[in-house]
Amino acid sequence: MTAPIYQVEGLVIDLYTPTVSVRAVDGAGFHVAPGETLAIVGESGSGKTVMTLGPLGLLPEGVAVDLRGTARADGKDILAMSPAELSRLRGGFFGVIFQDPMSALNPMLKIGPQLAEQARRFAGLSAAEACKEAVSLLARSGIPDPEDRYDRYPHELSGGMLQRAMIALALAARPRVLIADEPTTALDATVQAQILALIRQIQKEDGIAVILITHDIGAVSVLADRVAVLYAGQVAEEGSAIDVLTAPVHPYTRGLLASVPDFRSDSASGTKEIPGIPPNQAQLEAGCRFADRCDRVQPQCNTRRPRLQTVGMGVVPHRVACPVVIAAEGIVTHD
Amino acid sequence: MQRMFMRRVGLALLLMLAATALTFWLVTAAPGNVAALIAERAAGAGADGEMIAKIADDLGLNDPLPLRYARWLGDALTGDFGISLRTGKPMAEEFGERIPMTLALLTGGGVLALVLSLAMGIAGAASNGGGIDRVLHGMALVGASTPNFFVAAMLVIVFSVWLGWVPTFGVSGLTSWLLPWITIALFPASVLARVVRVNLQDTMSRPFATTGFAKGLTRGAVLLREALPNIAIPYMTTFGAQFTLMIIGAIVVERVFGLNGVGAFFIEAIRFRDFIGMQATLTLFVVFFVSINLIVDLLAMLADPRLRRPRKA
Repeated sequence: MTAPIYQVEGLVIDLYTPTVSVRAVDGAGFHVAPGETLAIVGESGSGKTVMTLGPLGLLPEGVAVDLRGTARADGKDILAMSPAELSRLRGGFFGVIFQDPMSALNPMLKIGPQLAEQARRFAGLSAAEACKEAVSLLARSGIPDPEDRYDRYPHELSGGMLQRAMIALALAARPRVLIADEPTTALDATVQAQILALIRQIQKEDGIAVILITHDIGAVSVLADRVAVLYAGQVAEEGSAIDVLTAPVHPYTRGLLASVPDFRSDSASGTKEIPGIPPNQAQLEAGCRFADRCDRVQPQCNTRRPRLQTVGMGVVPHRVACPVVIAAEGIVTHD
Repeated sequence: MQRMFMRRVGLALLLMLAATALTFWLVTAAPGNVAALIAERAAGAGADGEMIAKIADDLGLNDPLPLRYARWLGDALTGDFGISLRTGKPMAEEFGERIPMTLALLTGGGVLALVLSLAMGIAGAASNGGGIDRVLHGMALVGASTPNFFVAAMLVIVFSVWLGWVPTFGVSGLTSWLLPWITIALFPASVLARVVRVNLQDTMSRPFATTGFAKGLTRGAVLLREALPNIAIPYMTTFGAQFTLMIIGAIVVERVFGLNGVGAFFIEAIRFRDFIGMQATLTLFVVFFVSINLIVDLLAMLADPRLRRPRKA
């Protein structure tokens, strides 16, 4: 297994507004290696985006952020970097695809020149080369007639084409880590599959690390090598995609997978929702975050915070934060 | 785009027509009698009722109002705005002498307001809640709530009377323009600085600003290159409105600083019940208001790619 290129450990992120403070990420971590796709899964508000983009300083303005833990990109400590260093890292080392391309692309700027500028600044190309590179990036992202699209403004492209342009923009600086933050949520179902296929193709060709933030289990099964399941700012379960999707251990992961509709059955009877709502992260208590909604809850769950334990014998460690299920089902742990 | 352009121009012309008709009616409805004024001018105290009636008849003052307006409009369209009752000179000649003065006042004030508001707004957004931001916010608040005659008086006391740097009155070189320009620019600059600041702040929290950061731009670069173009439309629209309002400021400022412009002429025209002069000046104001707003609207349309290049269906 190759060494991780982006690694986050023991991350705690508190978000403040003038009236409330929320612990969005509470001691979570993840890592991703070149050529690997990590899916970070969880429901809205579970801290997926904050955990992944927070260390890069890419949270929306107007929210005060307090951030602790370690985050390393290519071995360098991100959290100790100056704003200028971090800016360069954001531009050249990471490429980010955002959820809604209609609002994530500047309506006043043409598509092509933005790509060319990235290629010029971060890939070290001359102005003329960068312009050519931009056109070929658009073509590679599956945009027909790229020379024409180069001079277009975002409003002149459809949503699917815009997301392709967004992908091209993220790739223009030749990043080593591509972060896709719910890249298909805002798109039509038919376009979703195309965008996922495009991300997979790029990942295969360039061998870059991909972090896919999503709540779409279908997208996970298509793309991911590894999966981390996030609940209320903590990692509930992580492991290879096969282990987590086919042999989930944590009650939350099981619930999440059971709530995915199975289109082969003719009714919604196959799906099962998880009762209750996620905890209020402004006032968290000790113990397991999922305890209130869990069907396997024991008295100890409310007092002791579960730690991640390694289960199974796979090459990729499968780790679960639920001692109750591990004990009840006689699952062997090794750590 | 072209149809929208033609519609705006048509609407502007219609607006000018309606506004001049309204001012024509208001001016004639004001107390005072043009024929009596002319008779008094010509014959002094010897003007009698018969003479006044004859003058009124000659001038067509007894005709119905719509007819008189139509006659006035016909003359105005050929550039004939009548002869000022106060100065006895044709209004076209008065304007020829005075418009350059007012134009210099408004242009200088406009440029100053533009530069100041952008500098203050951008500096505030760059500081983002820091000390500079708060000081600038306070300055804008004071600037937007101080009446211009007071500002003018204070500036004259400090810079002309105490320090003696600039003349109190009249025009003599560039320095004499400084106080009038500052006076007239202070209010629009303060309002526009807030417009820049608030819109920049709003734009910086939009998703595409985050994309700007993700592209590796520093906060300053995101502010200037990603956010600033996006405030062009609200800024230009507000600037147009504030710039046209400066003509009202000009009435006060020209009087205080002894500038022989259109605003000063207008005040005198009212004092002397110079109906011809009033109507001509008001017409000039209307044309100024409507055409500046039209130009700004069209420029704002050009600044927005979504309007300039509508999506092909």
